[in-house]
Amino acid sequence: MSTTSMTGCERVNRMFARQDQDRIPRQDTFWPETITRWQREGLQWDHHDALRLLEADFAGLCWSWPPVFPGQRELLREDAETETVRDAWGGIVRTWKGRSGTPEHVGFGCDSRAIWEKTYRPAMLAAPNQVDVQMAAVRYADARKLGQWTHLSGVEGFEALRKILGDETCLMAMVDDPEWIRDVVAVHTEVVLRSWQSVLDQGVKPDGLWIYGDMAFNHATMCSPAMYRELVWPFHKQMADWAHERGMKVIYHTDGRVSGVLDLYIQAGFDCLQPIEAKAGMDIRQFAPTHGDRLAMIGNIDVMKMATNDLGLIEEEIRTKFAAGMATRGYAYHSDHSVPPQVSWDTYKAIIGMVERYGYY
Amino acid sequence: MPLLTDLTAAVAAGKRTDTVRLTQELLAAGTGPQAIVEQGLVPGMAIVGDQFKRNEIFVPEMLVAARAMKEALKLLEPMLASAGIKPKYTAIIGTVQGDLHDIGKNLISMMWRGANFAVIDLGTNVPPEKYLAAAQEHKAHLVGLSALLTTTMPAMKETVRALKAAGLPNTRIMIGGAPITQAFATDIGADGYAADAGTAVDVAKQLVASLA
Repeated sequence: MSTTSMTGCERVNRMFARQDQDRIPRQDTFWPETITRWQREGLQWDHHDALRLLEADFAGLCWSWPPVFPGQRELLREDAETETVRDAWGGIVRTWKGRSGTPEHVGFGCDSRAIWEKTYRPAMLAAPNQVDVQMAAVRYADARKLGQWTHLSGVEGFEALRKILGDETCLMAMVDDPEWIRDVVAVHTEVVLRSWQSVLDQGVKPDGLWIYGDMAFNHATMCSPAMYRELVWPFHKQMADWAHERGMKVIYHTDGRVSGVLDLYIQAGFDCLQPIEAKAGMDIRQFAPTHGDRLAMIGNIDVMKMATNDLGLIEEEIRTKFAAGMATRGYAYHSDHSVPPQVSWDTYKAIIGMVERYGYY
Repeated sequence: MPLLTDLTAAVAAGKRTDTVRLTQELLAAGTGPQAIVEQGLVPGMAIVGDQFKRNEIFVPEMLVAARAMKEALKLLEPMLASAGIKPKYTAIIGTVQGDLHDIGKNLISMMWRGANFAVIDLGTNVPPEKYLAAAQEHKAHLVGLSALLTTTMPAMKETVRALKAAGLPNTRIMIGGAPITQAFATDIGADGYAADAGTAVDVAKQLVASLA
């Protein structure tokens, strides 16, 4: 399809170094329902084929989200459309059967410091490693043959707080009992780092970390920058330091409007931000000039525009945002969220064509 | 004797112990429960809403303020009920059909209660007919629809259509959620749109003020 002179790994490393590349790196994610639609419309197999057509440059090796009670999944009730389960983090969540979507948080088992200290903390520290290190090694070998940039993936402490304590308890505890919050984030961070180290102990040498959190919504970060700095940022820095000591770069995923904490992310040691959600008011045309020299950026191509299937609108989005990102040499293509099922396969193939057309240096 | 402004400040600062104590002291000093709500507690939450809009405070501070007000209301509600005093306006809120997201809805619900709306929370995955039934049963002045997913925006449109078709002259409809915009609200015929929990109170007040 295209003529390139670099491997994906070389390309992404040069992106981080702000050195010239042949083209911008590429990656994307898709809702499962999107793939189902595309399969009806001509996509041959699954999301891997969509990524192959895109010529994606990144390869994830493992996913680390340490459960408190591994294996726990108790079905509490169900109806025709949904099921309510007590999950491996002790929470009660209601999810769709057979389709994706954000769950409803019915309840959380850990709603006090006493329960955390008595039950959850020791359980989390004692739980066996859930990362499949053998599979990570296989994926690493495959990705190296393909020349892709490899990364460990997993969840950071803010997301863990929300998962274990629930939004209301964890956000109020940030005011009432900040030491409890710090302890939860610290324990989670320790367990995740241990799990990632277990992959490295197999002889795998990933190029980076792709750390997942969700600490903001359309309005702003959920907590103030000062509260983030005090309670969560030290552990973001711990993860980044761990990565850098091992020669790895760090990509941080968060939805929402995080403009108020970009400098803190840079100070923590994050090398890159993704997906840069457009509908939350994040715009690479604004932030690449101000922060792009220190923070690489992946994403910001608006899925709401993609969902119109208006190719003229989408092309303008790609053209102008690519120009801003590429000016820093530190930009990669990604949708600003996950590609939704309103986007047709024909539209996405056209998007790949636009990424090809506008993404070369 | 404590002042109502002391109570307002305690709520705004999220000091629940002080809020409860001041409420008890005001009651003991003869201040009526309705005055405590309307001139003490509600102004405190109004300050919270304004500060939130300006990013002077964030969700944790908003939640502890709402908690402080809720604890004071526990003392006052029996008295208000026995005197037949209830909030002037009733709001229905829910997440639309196909969507289980509840966090945004819960925050709005808290802020509306803080503004002294009676709020009936229908939960998540709410079909249009359930919103309509609740609006009719409770003679709701306001119906709030929340959605997180782009895929559930059609359900929001259908719900607005169903409510408008039912002809409820004293009910206003407002919408919000991550993918929602003012343009979408206008397009589907909603009466109002709020981008965040702070403006959700302002818009709610504007909409009910327009009622006969």
